[in-house]
Amino acid sequence: MAVKFFGQFLIEKNLVTNEALLRAIDLQERTNLKLGEMAVAMGLITSRDIETAHSAQYSRDMKLGDLLVELGMLTSSQLDDVIKHQRATHIYIGEALIKVGALTPDQLEQYLADFKIDQAEYATEQMELPEWLNKNRALWEAMIDLTYKMITRIVGVQFRTSTFEEITSIAPGRLLAAMDISGDADARYMLAVSDKTSKTIAKAILREDDVESEPEEVIEDSVMEFVNIVCGNVVAKASQDGMLLEIAPPETIHPPDDGLPIPKGMRGLNFPIHLSDGDLMELIILAKV
Amino acid sequence: MKRVLVVDDSIAVARQLEKIINESGDFTCIGHAKDGAQAIKMNHSEDPDIICMDMNMPGMDGLTALRSLSVLDKDVKVIMVTSLGGVGDKFAEALKLGAKNVVSKPFDAETVLKTLRAL
Repeated sequence: MAVKFFGQFLIEKNLVTNEALLRAIDLQERTNLKLGEMAVAMGLITSRDIETAHSAQYSRDMKLGDLLVELGMLTSSQLDDVIKHQRATHIYIGEALIKVGALTPDQLEQYLADFKIDQAEYATEQMELPEWLNKNRALWEAMIDLTYKMITRIVGVQFRTSTFEEITSIAPGRLLAAMDISGDADARYMLAVSDKTSKTIAKAILREDDVESEPEEVIEDSVMEFVNIVCGNVVAKASQDGMLLEIAPPETIHPPDDGLPIPKGMRGLNFPIHLSDGDLMELIILAKV
Repeated sequence: MKRVLVVDDSIAVARQLEKIINESGDFTCIGHAKDGAQAIKMNHSEDPDIICMDMNMPGMDGLTALRSLSVLDKDVKVIMVTSLGGVGDKFAEALKLGAKNVVSKPFDAETVLKTLRAL
């Protein structure tokens, strides 16, 4: 039903036990060193250097590796060596499960094939995007594609999409359900919906045929939950590509009559979603640039 | 009849889970906590057999509450029900802190009941 982690799929199908998976994860954690740890293990820097770089990270929006180079603790070629070594020694969860004796290589091959089939519906399609979103492109594509997929899967309505446009403010008149995403990328995910569409979403989330007597709080809560499900699955998808992201709890916003301006330091894109009942839903992505 | 406490800041999810649990015939939902702190209080006052808990909640989040529950009550069985289930690190952290399983959102009744019955 959702974007899964391979270990989760194995547990769900009773193919490995919780204990075996935890042993494999423990082995991965001991083997897969973080960039700073690897640089220390290679004798290039000290733990103290990492602490200094981490403190500097609070005021600088840079990755640890780039910061270590800027602070003169590593040369660019040393950083490349560390990254190469990290990749060469990295073990995936499947290999770790073989090493701890929970799976045989044949079983792993079979289960990976089964996992691929299970997750096929969540394979992300390529999307048209402006050039300024080329960085972390896979994340934006997952955000758009999983929104479309979850509308089909959860809400169960037909729709067509049209070309995105860049916006400088968000139009009033519709409910916005929003969620902040932070970590390796900073973004705000928003869905703009009419009263009618919020009720359609609420029916699907609450599994009720009629929501006319439901308080507004419950209707808005259902739209927030839909956004929560999309964003959680986006974060799961991004984690498969090695991105570390966090999500904040969702919130709803009623834009003021003169519209809601895009915050400074961010750019906004609006992806129109034309529902088969004639209503318009909009996916709005604000990305930090 | 096993007694289940639902912990989720979303009223919509709590209602959905409550419906699935109460219609199962072998489980009964004894209440709904809106965050981790309330979950710990209700675990003490209501003494449920099972807790179905979200991860991402305002106030005390699910993993923090799970960490406390693993110390305070060794008997209660916790299942995390979360949109973040597919994130390997979160899944692993939940199991390490003693969660019996993690159910991803969107969930269906069959998956939730299968997970509860396997406890």
